[in-house]
Amino acid sequence: MADRDIAIIGYAETKIELRSGRSVYDLAGEAFATALEHAGIDKSEIDGMAVNASFSDAGNPFYSPVLSAYLGLELDWCQTTDLGGGSVTGNIARAAAAIRSGLCETVIAIAADAQSTENRGNIGAFRSEFQYPVGVMGPPGYFGLLSRRYDAQYGLDPLALAKLAVTQRNHALLNDKACEKLRRPLTVEEYLKSPMIADPIRMLDCVMVCDGASAVVVTSTRHARELGAKRLVHPLGYGERVNYNETDPTPDITAVGHTAAGRKALRQAGMSIRDVQMFHPYDDFLIAIVLQLEQLGFCEIGKGCGFVMEHDLSFTGDLPLNTGGGQISAGQAGLAGGGHNLVEAVRQLFGEGGPRQVSGKSNAMVTGIGWIPYGRNWGSSTVMVLEAN
Amino acid sequence: MTTTIDALAGQRPVPIPLNFSKPFWDGAKRGVLMLQYCPVAKKYQFYPRPVSVYTGKRNLEWRQASGKGTIYTYTITHRAPAPFKDVPPYVVATVELEEKVRIISNVINCPVDQVRIGMPVRVTWTKIGDETMFPLFEPDR
Repeated sequence: MADRDIAIIGYAETKIELRSGRSVYDLAGEAFATALEHAGIDKSEIDGMAVNASFSDAGNPFYSPVLSAYLGLELDWCQTTDLGGGSVTGNIARAAAAIRSGLCETVIAIAADAQSTENRGNIGAFRSEFQYPVGVMGPPGYFGLLSRRYDAQYGLDPLALAKLAVTQRNHALLNDKACEKLRRPLTVEEYLKSPMIADPIRMLDCVMVCDGASAVVVTSTRHARELGAKRLVHPLGYGERVNYNETDPTPDITAVGHTAAGRKALRQAGMSIRDVQMFHPYDDFLIAIVLQLEQLGFCEIGKGCGFVMEHDLSFTGDLPLNTGGGQISAGQAGLAGGGHNLVEAVRQLFGEGGPRQVSGKSNAMVTGIGWIPYGRNWGSSTVMVLEAN
Repeated sequence: MTTTIDALAGQRPVPIPLNFSKPFWDGAKRGVLMLQYCPVAKKYQFYPRPVSVYTGKRNLEWRQASGKGTIYTYTITHRAPAPFKDVPPYVVATVELEEKVRIISNVINCPVDQVRIGMPVRVTWTKIGDETMFPLFEPDR
């Protein structure tokens, strides 16, 4: 990817809404139409499609063909990716591989879910057998287990988490796509007083599940030029790790696959972590940002809270972070939530950040997190490095 | 233990076993914690799987575990998920067994503010539905 042979030439993001009452196909349709318009291309150019598995139409074994039919697409390649929050970055890498191998030429990568309106998900398996009887409260319960362990090993500074919450909230105030319910100012004191739901996880540590969609148009740089695209963003590197320390029955649960995925993405991009100018980490919980800062090498293991306190992470700061508000302050569009982090990075690199536009930054790191295995940390870790043309 | 403290008692959904975990649930009925053991790696694994996670082979054995361990981490749940209704705060813990595997369960018969990482615990069984026995943990004093 470092040879800049693949390009993102357009993007779209819907408003993120709580219980919108909309179908996932309607949300996907809006993102699709808006992305085509933004890229300035005709629908007939699209010959490939990748989409994330959604909660709202989970159980449909023909999801991507059904979606492509709703969109009036006749395709040479399509697929559903079930890496949860890692699916959107994963789909750009999959689109790049499909384009390079000649399967197709121009891909619409869609992320859509209406989880707060309809959830047909049934993860089942070991969860029905061993977890549901003991009342693990879904992701907050798991992140409660993780946070307690992290605190015992390294010390968890609530003021650092509060700073992340407030920084991201200030960004959401400048983002009219963010969920309206979350677009009110937040203070450090309010974060600290937020009720414990899975102690030490507070309510304001968590995302709010919403509905929403996003899309990006991916093609070869050569074809992007033929199409007359003026603005390009190149994926320079990508790393993916599904499950981590899987054959260690008693792993350190504060370690995650982003260590491996980040190393690979940076190596492909020919960069070091110090070269990264903007960071758009997947944020289902605030502590996930702290862990990723450590595991990706922005700081030493166990020093993530200190890093947060020492750096200005606002859109005018030294390391702008989740400048659209992140999912925690913009709302999590179900399993499409990672599209928010991704599209915000692309939007910034296109120079279209509006009132929250960063200045003087030409690259970004975007990450994904997906699925929660039994008694471990998260299972899927993705890392992508993007650069403006 | 004379008084049972278990916030979720009587409300737990019946587990839905997969076919290859039958020895675990058969053992549970006898009050015995059974674990899969890989004779090649000489290691245990939990939850039950169709193959050894160490070798990918299907020559797994089932062995009786001691039922003793320590708390690796825990969370105090203040808002219970469905189907639990109106329950007081309860502890979900990751217990590291002596056999070097981890199991997620509740720590019962212990006030929530007395639970600590590293605390010794032992298995205790609760009945779910008509015939399923499920492993919980209590302080091993």
